[in-house]
Amino acid sequence: MLSVVAPITVYLFVSAPAALPEASAESGKRLTPHEVLEICAAENAAVRELYAKDIVGAGQQVGLRFDEKWEQLKVNAGPLPALFLRETAKSLSRSSVKLGLFLGSDSPVNKSNRFFGPQADALDQMRRDGESRGFFMEDVKLYTAMFPDFAVAPACVDCHNQHPDSPKRDWAMGDLMGATTWTFPSHSVSVSEMLDVIAALRHGFQDAYTRYIEKAKSFSLPPEVGKKWPRQCYCLPTPETFMQEAERRISKPTLDRLLSHR
Amino acid sequence: MKPNDPGDRQDDSLSAVAVSPEARLSDGRGPAPASSMRRRVGIGVGVCLANAALCALFAPGQEYLTAPGKMNAGHGQLDCTGCHRPAPGSVRQQIQAGTRFLLGLRETPVDFGFRAVENGDCQACHERPFDRHPVYRFNEPRFADARKEIAPQRCASCHREHSGRRITVEPDYCRHCHGELEMKNDPLDVSHATLVRESRWLSCLGCHDFHGNHVMKSSTRFADAFSALSVERYFAGDVSPYARQLRKPARQKRADLEH
Repeated sequence: MLSVVAPITVYLFVSAPAALPEASAESGKRLTPHEVLEICAAENAAVRELYAKDIVGAGQQVGLRFDEKWEQLKVNAGPLPALFLRETAKSLSRSSVKLGLFLGSDSPVNKSNRFFGPQADALDQMRRDGESRGFFMEDVKLYTAMFPDFAVAPACVDCHNQHPDSPKRDWAMGDLMGATTWTFPSHSVSVSEMLDVIAALRHGFQDAYTRYIEKAKSFSLPPEVGKKWPRQCYCLPTPETFMQEAERRISKPTLDRLLSHR
Repeated sequence: MKPNDPGDRQDDSLSAVAVSPEARLSDGRGPAPASSMRRRVGIGVGVCLANAALCALFAPGQEYLTAPGKMNAGHGQLDCTGCHRPAPGSVRQQIQAGTRFLLGLRETPVDFGFRAVENGDCQACHERPFDRHPVYRFNEPRFADARKEIAPQRCASCHREHSGRRITVEPDYCRHCHGELEMKNDPLDVSHATLVRESRWLSCLGCHDFHGNHVMKSSTRFADAFSALSVERYFAGDVSPYARQLRKPARQKRADLEH
């Protein structure tokens, strides 16, 4: 027996090759899932505000259209801010970083986005204190955090107040319209893993905006795509220009948050 | 081996019958006895046959011999590695890491041989940006009840591979999420609310293609809906009743292996 076990033990463990790395092998300060998702939610809020105000709001002034059916071939329109978020979420779902992103409300235009259960409870609590909420989904082993989603641009308020399917027509600027829900599988991440998460998220923003630009090129009257913004003309910034502006707005707050977790 | 070991006794008896004393004593090693030679030849032939059988079993194109069941509709040309990707590390590293995990010396488990097949493996060929029901969305907290019933957050929950079918879930699955469906401007001549109230869940797929990959327009007349039987045949692997034209056919090769 020993003559069998001993060589196997030596083969497997004594003359061992390098051990397979742990999923999270780095030492040093680690971020909790809620800290990870706070950074993501802050980046997302800033980019959505940029899109809602500088692309949708300003674009509507110069004749660009935004529609919930924007993906249909003959519709000359771009994604509404909520659908821009969904495009970002789709891109994240294809990423190796297992970050989930969803948007919902207790009064959504599309009833399929209505919260109930723990999400509805969390939104109720947010209406009272404006604070984010976190919980763990045992069945899918995902850390979950919800962040308030405020009306940041007239385009949000106007669209929700005028939409025939909207269950609420008296939204005002600054109202808590709903919440973003984020999911993440790891109970902690290193700073370098956090950088991968941020890179995947920003790639998601760029993917979402690139899909819009690709669609805009097929419009019957395509806008000029270059360095200019809709506030200047019937035009759209390139994905690179859009992301440069987004990163100018989000990078410092993100760096500050990362430094605060050192 | 002890003298009274049955295996030992068998060897002795075989030797006693097959080998003459002269053959044993002719020299120190002596010529191989005929029976021993036959046994060696037999073992050699056996090993060769076993190798040939193993080669035949695992040869390219013979996957159906080792697969746990018939491939699903449309997957007949796939080989095993189309879905079963090698796990990181060598076998030795995987055994080490697995042992360390079992002993509590490692935080995360490892796959052995091949990594588990996940949604990403399906989406490597079937990813569609316009999917009406992308699996990732079912990870949202509000789908907890649906996850309990049919686990729609995993492709394989409804498309269990090696079943020889296309779809392996019951065709009334819409009931898990759309129990409160109402439409303000219902385009159908029998209202959706009525269909839901009467629990006619087998009728949903008569007009709606779950992932939205068929180039089609849903009927506004309930009588024109495809029958439950034609939907069931489609589930079983028959041609689609919805439309022949697909918005985005599956890739012939995984997107992640194209570069």
